[in-house]
Amino acid sequence: MSVPGYHRPKSVEDAARLLAETDGARCLSGGATLVAMMNASLAEPKAIVSLAGIPELAGIAELANGGFRIGAMTRHAATAADARLAGTLAVLRDAARQIANPVVRNMGTIGGSIGFADPAADYPPALVAANAEVEIVNAAGRRRVAARDFFVDWYTTACGPGEFVTGVHLPPPRPGAGLYRKLARVSGDFAIASVALSAARDAAGVSVRIAVGGCGPRPIRADAADALLSAKFGDAAAAAAAGEALAAAADPVDDVRASAEYRRLVIPRLVAETVAHARAALEAR
Amino acid sequence: MTLALSINGRIRHVQAGLSDTLLTVLRDQLLLTAAKRGCNQGVCGACTVLIDGRPQRACLSLAANCEGAAITTLEGLQRDAGMARLQKAFTATGAVQCGFCTPGVLVSAHALLSHNADPRTDEIRAGLSGNLCRCSGYRKIAEAVAEAAKEAKP
Repeated sequence: MSVPGYHRPKSVEDAARLLAETDGARCLSGGATLVAMMNASLAEPKAIVSLAGIPELAGIAELANGGFRIGAMTRHAATAADARLAGTLAVLRDAARQIANPVVRNMGTIGGSIGFADPAADYPPALVAANAEVEIVNAAGRRRVAARDFFVDWYTTACGPGEFVTGVHLPPPRPGAGLYRKLARVSGDFAIASVALSAARDAAGVSVRIAVGGCGPRPIRADAADALLSAKFGDAAAAAAAGEALAAAADPVDDVRASAEYRRLVIPRLVAETVAHARAALEAR
Repeated sequence: MTLALSINGRIRHVQAGLSDTLLTVLRDQLLLTAAKRGCNQGVCGACTVLIDGRPQRACLSLAANCEGAAITTLEGLQRDAGMARLQKAFTATGAVQCGFCTPGVLVSAHALLSHNADPRTDEIRAGLSGNLCRCSGYRKIAEAVAEAAKEAKP
């Protein structure tokens, strides 16, 4: 590695140490965001800590409890193709396959995407609906943060200075449905609005988690919406009330994709459509 | 400083700083100009090359981060039978207008056909959705890829 300022550590611990002790250093994962910002002179890191040489960050591993750990360097294409992410966890696969286009899905990583935390990106609401936890490292050690607490504000996460995302932990998949629906100007664009839903079904009934993307500084959720949908899954009035609860919790802005007013109007419709598709998926099982 | 990159099966030595991309060294130092600098933001796909066999953006790949990877540009596929079929079909179908997007489209189409020898039209369109043609000649591009796939059948 002969380029000054470029580092390719072989372990997470070495990467965390380099990040902490190197002035102006940034982590590089897939490059889809950081290098684009460097090309546009929006980021000028003095040093790069590449995560490309750390084996434990690549790939999806099944855990002893039946859940999964997705390493931070796992490409969107690999997540989209992993059939083990089934049942309630299918929400994550469904989101991954709708990110950008095949070439970008070969480059972009889950750690890079959620570390950047664009609220119109596809993973944030899907991780909240999947009840995931995000694994973070710093020079002192690792910690885990629930996805719903990881996304803090516009482009802001629970990661502090000197910290980076090492992976995502998913609970064991439950029988049921998981899906992600996105309203976008063209296929592969960032969301105008999106809905991520997981519905676990067993003898006791249905348990739903739902989150909305692209409509505020972080994924939008509402306890009332989860409760309404869990109590009467597939019921049109319950879906409408859940959609209204999520629209009320949203905090959208006007941007190049749509107005805030349009987003508030479209959330209940997208929620109703997503619930209808989830119900059809459950009945088809 | 000097980097050793594996490009089209050969080790090539290039000079690069921290912020230099693979696209910059391909075009400006190695004079491999098939990959084009369009948006330089990863959006347009004109710079698409194969990195470890998968189509990726040369403009979003830091040169320093490419040491150890196998890079294949369109120039490296000039003796590939599948690429020859694609190029012939693009010419015959009129799928090349200004030509700026064509190298990136060819690399993406080659990757598509290597995984799916007989794609439907919607699969061709999805497979090429990372490549923009600002002449908007998408219909003939999709027809050309379908024609190349047909030609490959025994």
